Amino acid sequence: MLVLTRRGNESIMIGNDIVVTVLEVKGDQVRIGIRAPRSVAVHREEVLAELTKANRAAASPAAEALDALNKVRPTET
Amino acid sequence: MTTAVLEEIDALVTLEVPNGLVGVPEAQRFSLSRWGGDDSPYATLKALDADGLEFVVVPPSVFFPDYAPVVDDDLVQRLDLHEADDAVVLVIVTIGDPVTTSTANLLGPIVVNRHTNQAAQAVLSPDEHDPRRPLVG
Repeated sequence: MLVLTRRGNESIMIGNDIVVTVLEVKGDQVRIGIRAPRSVAVHREEVLAELTKANRAAASPAAEALDALNKVRPTET
Repeated sequence: MTTAVLEEIDALVTLEVPNGLVGVPEAQRFSLSRWGGDDSPYATLKALDADGLEFVVVPPSVFFPDYAPVVDDDLVQRLDLHEADDAVVLVIVTIGDPVTTSTANLLGPIVVNRHTNQAAQAVLSPDEHDPRRPLVG
């Protein structure tokens, strides 16, 4: 991993069109600004990890589980 | 039961998910079919290019009428969505044991362009949406 030291308001360029800027450092929190083309998805790592976990847990349920699920219906309002 | 949302599923048949689902990049094409009989709200999403990979999905409006995910501009552009009606939203179900503890993933809904069948899993804010919201109770 490349390690760089940056201060507030200093940036890093990734390729030609991605700019990562350290906006503010306050205690153990760092505010980061990211400017990137729309085609580049920018997400917090833990959110993707959470979705990966959820997708894996949901993948390929057993046939019996699927049959049982069919009884779960919305409560009529 | 709102039959309109279920008819939308019938119309879709195949979904193209160029980026795959989050953490599941191996499948990019899925067949979507209603599952469990005429009065069932569920559908299955079967991977066409990854053997045996399958998900259960449901239109969120069936269980969560108030759910109104706002997807970011990047996804709107990628899926070529021009108005809200261009999109069909589905959420992935994780079947629990007992089955009444089954949950839906409201954090990462699958958004489909109904005209092109292009789809993607949106990544919403965890502050607002639960990846494991119980279907009932």
